[in-house]
Amino acid sequence: MATDSLAVQLTGIEKRFPGVIANHDVNLNVRAGTIHAIVGENGAGKSTLMKTLYGMHQPEAGTISVFGEHKVFRSPSDAIDAGIGMVHQHFMLADNFTVLENIILGYEPIKGGRVQYDQARLKLQDIMAQSGTHVDLDAPVSDLGVGQRQRVEILKVLFRGARILILDEPTAVLVPQEVDELFSNLHRLVADGATIIFISHKLDEVLTVSDDITVIRDGTTVAEVKPDGVTRSKLAELMVGSELPSPHGRASEVGSAVRLSVTGITVAGLGEKHALEDVTFEIHEGEVLGIAGVEGNGQFELCETIIGLTKPIEGSIVMNGDNITHASPHHRLMSGLSYIPFDRHREGLLLDAPLWENTLLGRDGDPQFLKGPFINAAAAKADSREVIERFDVRTPSELVPAYALSGGNQQKLLVGRELSSHPNVLIAAHPTRGVDIGAQAAIWEKLRAARDAGLAVLLISADLEEVIGLSDRILVMFDGHINAHLTPAEATPELLGTYMTGGVQEVAS
Amino acid sequence: MSEPIATEPNAPSAEGTSANAVSKLVSLFTGRSQQSALVTLASSLAAVAIALVLAGILLWATGKSPFDAYSKMLDAGLTNDKLLETTQRATPLIVAAVAVAIGFKMNLFNIGVEGQYLMGVFWAAVVGAYIHLPSVLHIGLIFLVAMAAGALWAAVPAILKVKKGVNEVIATIMLNTITLSIIDWAFQEQFRYEIPGQLDVKTKVLPTTAWLPDLVKNRLSSFIIVALVVVLAFWLIVYKSKFGFRLRASGANAVAARTAGISSNSMIVTSMVMSGAIAGLAGMTYLLSTSHAYGPTRPEGYGFNGIAVALLGRNHPAGIIVAGLLWGFLDSVAGPLQIADIPQSIVLVIKAIILLTVVIVNEVVGRRVAKRTADRTAAQLTLPVVAA
Amino acid sequence: MRKSKRFAAIAMVAAFGLMAAACGDDDKTDTTSAPEASTGDTTGDTTGDTTAPVDLNVGLAFDTGGRGDGTFNDSAARGADQAQTELGATVTELEATNAEDRQPNLETLTDAGNGLVVSVGFAFGDGLAVVAAANPDTMYANVDGFYADATENVTFLSFAAEQGSFLVGAAAALKSESGHIGFIGGQEIDLIKAFEAGYTAGAKYINPDIVVEVKYLGAAGDNAAWGSPDKAKEIALAWYADGADVIYTAAGGSGQGTIEAAVEADAWAIGVDSDQYGTATPDQQGHILTSALKRVDVAVFETIKAFQAGTLTGGVQVFDLSTDGVGYSTSGGYLDDVVDQLEEIKAAIIAGDIVVPTMP
Repeated sequence: MATDSLAVQLTGIEKRFPGVIANHDVNLNVRAGTIHAIVGENGAGKSTLMKTLYGMHQPEAGTISVFGEHKVFRSPSDAIDAGIGMVHQHFMLADNFTVLENIILGYEPIKGGRVQYDQARLKLQDIMAQSGTHVDLDAPVSDLGVGQRQRVEILKVLFRGARILILDEPTAVLVPQEVDELFSNLHRLVADGATIIFISHKLDEVLTVSDDITVIRDGTTVAEVKPDGVTRSKLAELMVGSELPSPHGRASEVGSAVRLSVTGITVAGLGEKHALEDVTFEIHEGEVLGIAGVEGNGQFELCETIIGLTKPIEGSIVMNGDNITHASPHHRLMSGLSYIPFDRHREGLLLDAPLWENTLLGRDGDPQFLKGPFINAAAAKADSREVIERFDVRTPSELVPAYALSGGNQQKLLVGRELSSHPNVLIAAHPTRGVDIGAQAAIWEKLRAARDAGLAVLLISADLEEVIGLSDRILVMFDGHINAHLTPAEATPELLGTYMTGGVQEVAS
Repeated sequence: MSEPIATEPNAPSAEGTSANAVSKLVSLFTGRSQQSALVTLASSLAAVAIALVLAGILLWATGKSPFDAYSKMLDAGLTNDKLLETTQRATPLIVAAVAVAIGFKMNLFNIGVEGQYLMGVFWAAVVGAYIHLPSVLHIGLIFLVAMAAGALWAAVPAILKVKKGVNEVIATIMLNTITLSIIDWAFQEQFRYEIPGQLDVKTKVLPTTAWLPDLVKNRLSSFIIVALVVVLAFWLIVYKSKFGFRLRASGANAVAARTAGISSNSMIVTSMVMSGAIAGLAGMTYLLSTSHAYGPTRPEGYGFNGIAVALLGRNHPAGIIVAGLLWGFLDSVAGPLQIADIPQSIVLVIKAIILLTVVIVNEVVGRRVAKRTADRTAAQLTLPVVAA
Repeated sequence: MRKSKRFAAIAMVAAFGLMAAACGDDDKTDTTSAPEASTGDTTGDTTGDTTAPVDLNVGLAFDTGGRGDGTFNDSAARGADQAQTELGATVTELEATNAEDRQPNLETLTDAGNGLVVSVGFAFGDGLAVVAAANPDTMYANVDGFYADATENVTFLSFAAEQGSFLVGAAAALKSESGHIGFIGGQEIDLIKAFEAGYTAGAKYINPDIVVEVKYLGAAGDNAAWGSPDKAKEIALAWYADGADVIYTAAGGSGQGTIEAAVEADAWAIGVDSDQYGTATPDQQGHILTSALKRVDVAVFETIKAFQAGTLTGGVQVFDLSTDGVGYSTSGGYLDDVVDQLEEIKAAIIAGDIVVPTMP
């Protein structure tokens, strides 16, 4: 196979949105038959670029060539015709249909007005055999796990004849074993002549799996490197454009008072296996306890249990000396607990509501926002303006609906809301996920200031720099239990990575 | 740091004092931030206009003159008597629409208003006939019974949803059918009251202390005042109160509300019960002002028309009143149109087309507005990702 | 977007709900007019002194269902049509789409300058009371309705159903070989009890020893009684099995069940209101002995005629054998051998020689 010919070549791509230049001067050379990673921070412009390549929108400038041929994609179907397939981060499958039906949906082989299922089945069996990607074609999609659904998505694009596959953050939803499986599938696909464009911000994965790496920063391509010619920290630096902001110094000592004490918490899981197993820790006044871990290892259940949305089957939770194991979420929030949730859109914000209603959410029990049974809108708006100003939320006013803000500003608003209720315990789940560097630094700064003022913080993050940089102590969660206790001084990303994937090692042995 | 960023000349935040007054007035109308207010109003009006044009084309296609039909409609409808009739017909629809809107605000579709108001009418008729109280107390008690019956009946799907995860749409539709059976059974077995020689069998007629006086004799019941109070209460509770805020938050994003300590289960039950209680009042014009008893010749369809009115009024108090009056107007001119040899089904067609165009227009306008708002907000941030 | 999709879906439901509500209203024909659900298959005696009167304007208010319901409303419409052709009346029709249309429709017809407004169905009662009191210069007639303390300008059109029932009772007794017949009523109300009383009296007039089974399908106001053919069929089958050979059913649409049972048991059924022979299938026709007729068309026509002549006085107007307001049908020719005898009885009733009871 011609490894040196270019499967995809993008030259001088520029894409503007009203008021924002999302991509400019982007150059990308993807060799045929390779896995090409595109790395960059959230918001760096990776997704915009991939949407351009997949024909979901048209660039203002620049050219696209596929296998040496100049192309203009007016829609995804043009891209599909050119052999490009996209595996979206959010699967687009019809739950009630079988795998086979989902795969052929929209591209059904038809003869005489009838769908040729047998023909499609034969073709798919062929594809599965060649790519090593196996799924039960007759299973309803609703029965499949996340990893299998992803395989269905991959088969879907292969079925449509794609020779260039774009995978948008494919590992974000996978557990470690599934990641390994995905990578071995990708290698087989490449060996079979396919070309893969792999979008990620997880550097370790990128270094493991790819042949070439293109780094995108601030909307443009800044470097193309080979995995063996670059270190993890060098790559991170390329992504961020400077040294990672991670000051360690702190102005105050960790207090002695225990703010939150979690003892022996066990939470039922979906199957027989518990989602949380005997989790115990304490957080003191003015302390940040970091929890590192691959997403989906019980962090979400831990947060839900602490704020009272999930009932533990064993164990107790004591906050400020009160046993709150059986208290309602409302009671907990009113007694000084705050929560920055995992997913700001799903759990944090009312997207269609104006910002001032968003800053009021969860704080409507505060008498300052009430006039008898009614909401004191003037006070709530004034408070919202204050949050907007203090947390540097970029918005014309507090009357704008939340959906109009960028992710970083939404997150700043959310952090501002949670800190404005003057909590003494804060659960911060991925507080800087998907925000730009400026917002990230601002959020870290606010968290530190609150900690220095005595706030006890439970920090959940997949960003190891963040965990190491902010925490006073670090726990590693794996498979529903805590399998390591570390101090920031002894914690290195490598060491944490080892503990975070501890389960994989156990299974392997 | 929020306001000063707005350097763009077209920034909406450059609002003067007069603009402020207007926006206040408008937000009074919609209860939302100013962007959507005028747009909502305009798009609803546009939808009605489009519907009239489409219905006109239909009329024209069947060989009738649409101009003729619409001018007949206005001629017939804009008389004193007909306007009173419009209001009288709008009254129950407005109340039913409020009931529906409470559910909508919680993201619940209470299709069961139809059954809930019948329950309200029936039990209010039964209880009201057998008690004797001074007028105000008597009527008040009848209202309470009607509300309680509607509320209890609405609690059933709410509890099914909370406990068993049964979709409220399916539960309420089924309960509507069951309602009829229960009422028919109770009526037949217990509460029918025959008057010799009269085929129109009803429950026992209410004592006159329970009769609601007319504002205009035989044309407009004073229940319209109660209906307006209901609308006002709806506005205060849903749009202005803490409870309403929690209800709307839960309806807008149940997960986020739950994370903020608002139990969506209790919101589901509370809002359904409130919805049912209001639904129970929808039939009070019929019971207390026109019929004074329940009978099988009862009016039907308040529930379904209430859904339509709530949708058209975008669940907003003022919108509901306007939409209710529009529906009442269309109903009241159906008769005169028939006499003018225009099929009265055109009224039904207009209603249905209005509903569909409202949905389509709102969807289209909604998307545009969302995009424009996002773009404008982004534009004011003066930070193109790449400045240099 | 998810929300707006749900919103759209629900709007569809509501839109179709509106349609369904409108369609559903058709069923209400049963609720308001079922006891006389009739196809009063016309051939009215044309009592035609076709003068050309001035300004004979008549309003005709139908309940939900209206013209084209195949029964009651159609029969009324035929009477109005007849008045149009024979009396030169100008008839304006108005049909209710829901319960709240009744009173406004009466008003609209009144305001349109009609001297007489005929409403079809007792459900108009409440609205009629209001409108008639407010318009003393307009005459009103209501088919089947009645309410106490009506104003003088209201005429209630009722039917001496017991007389027609007497004749079909006599026919049943004449044709019965087993001396065992039956009666199935709809709601157990005075109106239907009159059918039973006439039927039983007629049968006993022929054969004093005859056994008459009686059953009602529901109590007053139980509208299901007019639409339960399965229930009627069950009862009829049991009676036929028990030896009965003729069953008369006065229960609106439920009567269909009796006809089906008669076919299965190879026995006779007697129809009601309209000549059910005309609407039956060929294999059913052989089992419909006769039908007791209730001539809504005659009542409407006669009322318009009386109004024209200035003799409409208000109160209750009973239509009986003497005015052909009730009668019996002879379709199929199964009564050919006894028709003379029945005509004698009819004459005797008209003459007052036979007094038909109205209560069993």
